[in-house]
Amino acid sequence: MQRVYIYNDSFESLISLILILLSKKVKPDNIKNSEYAPNLFEEKIILVVNEKLANDFLEKLDRKNLCIIYYAFLSEKSDCELVIYYYILNYLKYGTKTYFFRNLKCVNKVLAYSTYVSGENHKFKGFTRFEEKENKVLYAVINPTSNILGLLSLHFQKRLRNELWMIEDVGRNIISVYDKKHFYIISKNSLKISIDALSKQEQQMQNLWKEFYNVIAIKERENLKCRQNFMPKKYWKNICEVKDEL
Amino acid sequence: MELLEKLKFLADGAKYDASCSSSGSKRLSKGYGSVAFSGICHSFSKDGRCISLLKILLTNACIFDCKYCINRKSNNIKRALFTSDEICEITMNFYKRNYIEGLFLSSGIVKSPDYTMELLIDAVKMLRVKYKFAGYIHVKAIPGASEVLVKKLGMMVDRMSANIELSTSNSLKLLAPMKNHNKVEQIMSNIKHNQSRAFVPAGQSTQMIVGATRESDMDIMQKSAMLYNNFKLKRVFYSAYISVNQDKLLPTLTIPPLAREHRLYQADWLLRFYNFKVEDMLSNQNPNFNLLLDPKADWALNHLNEFPKEINECSYNDILKIPGIGIKSAKKIVSSRKFFALTFKDLKLMGVSLKRAKYFITCNGKYFMDTIFFQKDFIEQNLILEDKTKVSVDRQQLSLF
Repeated sequence: MQRVYIYNDSFESLISLILILLSKKVKPDNIKNSEYAPNLFEEKIILVVNEKLANDFLEKLDRKNLCIIYYAFLSEKSDCELVIYYYILNYLKYGTKTYFFRNLKCVNKVLAYSTYVSGENHKFKGFTRFEEKENKVLYAVINPTSNILGLLSLHFQKRLRNELWMIEDVGRNIISVYDKKHFYIISKNSLKISIDALSKQEQQMQNLWKEFYNVIAIKERENLKCRQNFMPKKYWKNICEVKDEL
Repeated sequence: MELLEKLKFLADGAKYDASCSSSGSKRLSKGYGSVAFSGICHSFSKDGRCISLLKILLTNACIFDCKYCINRKSNNIKRALFTSDEICEITMNFYKRNYIEGLFLSSGIVKSPDYTMELLIDAVKMLRVKYKFAGYIHVKAIPGASEVLVKKLGMMVDRMSANIELSTSNSLKLLAPMKNHNKVEQIMSNIKHNQSRAFVPAGQSTQMIVGATRESDMDIMQKSAMLYNNFKLKRVFYSAYISVNQDKLLPTLTIPPLAREHRLYQADWLLRFYNFKVEDMLSNQNPNFNLLLDPKADWALNHLNEFPKEINECSYNDILKIPGIGIKSAKKIVSSRKFFALTFKDLKLMGVSLKRAKYFITCNGKYFMDTIFFQKDFIEQNLILEDKTKVSVDRQQLSLF
């Protein structure tokens, strides 16, 4: 039987679980979140975890390693929990210098995942498109591959701090709501308020923007492949100026 | 004229300016918005260039008659002028919806350089003071304007730029008789002398047109090197010449010389970040770049006696000289090799591109194939063949000359 350890979806509980496994010298076959459905040859194991363990560990962790591990967790890749387990295993041996050991597969994977997440987060700082609703709330829909809503909200908290905004991650069914002070990430289903119609000015602004977008390209230099490299098609359906080209 | 139509004309006139970067400045004030140091690209247009700023002209009316320019006086096109209010409204509304990172405001010359400068100042001042806009602003400095006005404008913007347009004074005299390099360089030195955290924090940039006149790549690169050294420019942009006007003094190109532009950008990077000098890459016998090979590979093939380099021992600066290895890869290599000896497999795992580099390095004394193949002709052919797609594009462009 393959032993699959289950954590309760939060980053802290994953770290606690990993720390317990490491202290017991257990090598898990896999680590998954609570939604995981095991197959015939797998056995689900749920341990009682104390999140204080994780908090103590994370507090002592240097900023760079913390970011690397947390970003890798946000990638939500199917093996991200397991590679984080091995990364922490190596961390206990090599300390803060762990991320230099790129000849280790787990270190490389964690770094690759975390780079991907920070890259996608950066892209969405640009690709997020807000629409103004009638009640002046700015509303955006995004469909990122990794779970970047929290990171992205930190950015818009600084940039649009005097506006009311909401960003919906449509794939995860979660929404970030900002009230000019803090942002809260909640499940879309628990959101009680209904979404207003578009403001009067909104369509006019979108038209202006689309006009600008079309005019600014130089015809003689057209290079659609290059554009798609920078702006992958999977994001287009929520980017108003290219949506119509799909 | 309706706003939509105005935007169409005034963005159309601004699109030939290559600069779009929104990096190099950082701000988090009480106003509306913020500036991210790394810059953010918000969209990409059909030509593959990034859109980060609302790039518009204040007006496309101009008293100059530069042969290559779409807005020249003698062209029969519709002229328009944005009011400061219109500029502010569009900027704020686009910024709020996260379409843009800020404003890039350029202008044709109306009445006089000073008068134009004052129009720019009015617009930028309204945006900063009345609308409390704290995002990125890039504005054109108008050559010939007085230093007082440059100072005033510079205190409100992140970046300023004055375009040098053509690399030699003679070509400028031919195509843009009303402009001259002295005036451009004068305003560049004004900006340089005043630069501080409050004045043009993201520095200044400029632009040169490539392929409109007979200059060699050497002329262009020497001018760039001079600008970087004398005026501490952040960037020189190169813009492949696109024929928008008919004139007997202008070449008739159907396709812009994009391959050449690409080589110039590569060389520009070598100049700024890789400790190369213009003389390393070009000489009087060889004043133009090889369109089939990038400048670094070309240089390496001509200095093959310095290669192959041992990746575990050579200095950081030497690693930078290896074709195909950039700054990020070089840093990864230097930081990792302290802890273990790198092999070809490790390099691949780390994400270092070996397509070009493998011909020029050894790992722990090992070359990736038999060392009898370490010869100029063999490597050169392989480098060109491996870039098949690129070669076909280059051929198209080559046939023009």
